[in-house]
Order: sequence, then structure tokens, then C-alpha cells
Amino acid sequence: MNFDLDAIFIEDQCRSSALAARVIEKIPPHVPVRYVADGREAALPQTDARDPFGAGKRRMVVMNRRSPFLMACPAGSAEFACCGYLVLTLASNCPMDCSYCFLQEYLADNPGFQVYANYADAMDELDRLAKRAPGRQLRVGTGELADSLAFDRITGISRELVEFFAARDGLTLELKTKTAEIDNLLEVDPKGHTIVSWTLSPEAVFRSSEHRTAPPSARIESARRVLDAGYRAGFHLDPIIAYPGAGRDYGELLDELFDSVAPDRIAFFSMGTMRMTSKLRSAARERFPADPMLLGEEVLSPDGRFRAFAPMRIALYREIADRIKASAPKVPMYLCMEQPGVHRKVLGAGPSTVAALGDRLARG
Amino acid sequence: MTDTAAAIRAWAAERHLPETHLARWLGMTERDRAAILAIARALRLSTGAIVTALATLEEISVRESCTIESVLARDAIARIIKGRTSAPARAKAFLAALRQIRYPRLAEASRKLEAEIAALDLPRAISVVLPKDLGSAHLRVELEANDGAELKRLIGALYASADKLAQIADRLSGEK
Repeated sequence: MNFDLDAIFIEDQCRSSALAARVIEKIPPHVPVRYVADGREAALPQTDARDPFGAGKRRMVVMNRRSPFLMACPAGSAEFACCGYLVLTLASNCPMDCSYCFLQEYLADNPGFQVYANYADAMDELDRLAKRAPGRQLRVGTGELADSLAFDRITGISRELVEFFAARDGLTLELKTKTAEIDNLLEVDPKGHTIVSWTLSPEAVFRSSEHRTAPPSARIESARRVLDAGYRAGFHLDPIIAYPGAGRDYGELLDELFDSVAPDRIAFFSMGTMRMTSKLRSAARERFPADPMLLGEEVLSPDGRFRAFAPMRIALYREIADRIKASAPKVPMYLCMEQPGVHRKVLGAGPSTVAALGDRLARG
Repeated sequence: MTDTAAAIRAWAAERHLPETHLARWLGMTERDRAAILAIARALRLSTGAIVTALATLEEISVRESCTIESVLARDAIARIIKGRTSAPARAKAFLAALRQIRYPRLAEASRKLEAEIAALDLPRAISVVLPKDLGSAHLRVELEANDGAELKRLIGALYASADKLAQIADRLSGEK
């Protein structure tokens, strides 16, 4: 993808890092490079900007991460049936700009597009974690606070990560993306330890809401290519947006997917309908006032988030799940940020425990 | 400033409409803002009602790619404006109609479920309560009894409607 960067900020202590050198080599010559004592200050919102969050996306900050790289998925909660996903934060914020993105709220106070030069420390953390959980298969993803591959053409981190995971039996890497940036991946052998997953949306959602992302057909084509290169591939239908005609459009999207990718080669499907806190809803609508996808029939649900009203939401989940089951009956499916009762209504069985589901998704 | 803009400012000043909402109103096309002003006057909308109407109308306009003027010209709205009830009653009906236009499938699902509940013809001491805005799939059934005999009678009535109640619960859970 093409970056739209206003400036690069490099923290003084990262001047000689391999990441800073790669970034400087790859960025267009017109983008100014500045050196700063503390990258955290460069990542703060520019309060004089008309759209501070959007401006943050155009300020890349190469810096050291001060806090741990690994954390539990921020979407996880005791009230939901969760998938045991662990998040490895190698970057924060994303050069793409989806109107519904939760980062608009989550990173509002810290919107600079940060990439962490000390990412080798993340690998040490992973090794320590794997040692503490012998016999368990852990699924670790880099695509929660940033797209896993959107910046890979500049940073080239994916190759090192894939090779790191390829050498470790207890760890599975998930690279989650809405791009077609797979060239670096095709140069390394994942040895079955990396899943590349795509968020898939119908054309209508892509056009209306997923700015600067790859078209759905390009994502599917990329999935086919990484599968041929020995990767596993998963798909997130998340957020599912319940606009009129959504059931038909998601069905057609799945038809297109199954025409390109043999269903039995898919590692998993996750589904989650659009959910927004009140604060996120306001932020998203302010930034994208003309996006009809943000103006669906969402109502306040018991967990305090706005979601499509229950009968319509559950019916849409069922319609999509039935379509998946018809073509890919053995592929694991799970719901993200839904209560166990909804899980049962949609998938017909109670959700697995977090550990069991996470293990199953990681092992494939 | 156009005559409409001046009239909107005067209306807003009279009702202490906050500046952000006034700016939203004035930011609309001449025809849209004039159509809203006409309704605000006809129904003597309160400040709260105009704030809700402005937001809902803008959302409908984006959802349906249409002008606000065309929304306000629809039959359902025209009937309310020309109605013979009091202005506050028509204002309330106007906001309810806007909400139905804004949430058409929710309105339809709620209407159907309420009709099915009414068709059960249960004793008044039994309430079948749908979740607010169908925000969850939880159906609540309440019985109010003053003694054991009455409770038994109510449970019997409920039992007689068990299959139909189960269908309503299933529909709330997304069954067609």
C-alpha cells in the first residue's frame, strides 16, 4: 500500500537501530525525518489539527516500546466467549482508515503511528512465555493495535517474525491484515507456524468504510497465494455490518472466497457484528459523517455497546454461519465479543473454554 | 443572511438552542432547513425535540441518500402535521415517526412481536416484556398474584400459551 506520511520521527535512542535504517531507506524522499528525544511526545495528538486522529496516522514514530509487548486481547472479557488470542504489539495505529475502527477511541490520546525498534525484546518475551506454558499451543497476533502487514514494505519485520515462530513448536503467529502486502511472506518458510488472516467485508462495506485497504478480491487472491506458499489462512468476518441486503452480500463474498480457496484449507472463521461504545460511535460519526454503514440499526445492548438489535443480529450470524457450514463444515468458527448465549444460538453448541478454543485455532 | 437563516436564529434564540445544534441546522441546504423550521413552528417543537429531530433527520438523509425536505414530505409525517390532536401530541408522534423511518427493521420487528404477544390474550396480571429496543434476546414474563389460587390460574394460562410464547422467544433469538 502507499503510505501518506507527513513526517517520520525517530527517537534518539533508536537512531542506529536496524528498523530506523530500513525505514529511512524505504520512505519517499519528500517525507521529512526528524529526531526527537522521546517518541511518546511525537505520538501525542496534534490538538491544532482538524482531525488529530487522522493526523496521527501520518506521523510515523520509530521508538522503543517501554511496556511489555505481549498482552491479552483487549477485546477479551469474562462476559464474552473468547478465543484466547494473545496480542503482540509491534506497532500502534494503522495507515489505513476504516470508519468503524475501534482505534479511534482506543488510541485517541496516543494516535501517532508508532513502530517499535526494540522488537527483538518481544521475541524474548515470547520465549519466556512459551517456557512457562509447556505443552500449550499459543496463538499470538500482531494485528490488534495495527494491521500486521500494512507497513511491512517499509519495516520488513514479518520475515523475522515468521522465521522466529517457525523455529518454535509451541507458538503460532497470526498476521491479521486488510492488505495484499504479502511479498515478504513469500520469501520465507513458515513451517506451519504462521496463520495469515484477512478481515473480509463485502464490496459495499469496503467502498463505504474501509479507506486505503485492499479490495476484498485482492485480499482473497493474497490468501490463495500464501496458502500455496505453505501458510495457513483464516478469515475474520468482523465487523459484520447489518445493512439491508447484508445477508446476500456476505453470501456472495463467501462464494467468491470458496471459488478461490478450497474450504478445507481454511484454518478458521471468526465473526463479530459491529459494536461500538458511545464514545467510539461519536468519534467515528464525527470523522465519517457521510458513511451510511455507521448509521445502521444499532441499539444499546446489555454490555453498554451499540450493536444491531438482537433478532436481526442473530439471524444474520445464522445466515452467514449456515453458508460457511454448507461449504466448510469442518472449519472452526467462533464469535468475537459475543456472550455465550449468542454463541449457542448461532453455532448450535456452547462455546469451548478460552484455552480449548485458542489451542484448537492455533493447532489447526 | 437569508430570511430563513434569520428566522432560524430567532427561533433558536427564543428556545435557547445550543450553538452546536444551531450550527448544524444552519449548515443544511436552504430547502432542508426551511422545511425543518416549518415543522418546528407547526408542531411548536421544544428545544429537546428539535435537537432529536435534527440528528435523526440528518441520519435518515445519509442512510437513504435523500434530502431532509423529502423525508418531511412523506405521507406519514404529513398526516401527523395535519392531525387534529394537540401540538405536543403531534410533536411526540412526529419524533416517533422519525424514529420508525430511522430504524425501519427494528420498528417492523417490534411491531410484529408486540402483535404476537397481544394475540396471546393473556390475563392482565401476566406481562410479557420485550427487551428495550430488542437490544438483547431476553424475554421477560411477569406474573402478579395476590394468592395461591390466582397464581395457579395464571400459571395455567401461561402454560396454555407455552408453545406460542416459545415461538416469540425464538423469534427474538433471530429465528425466522
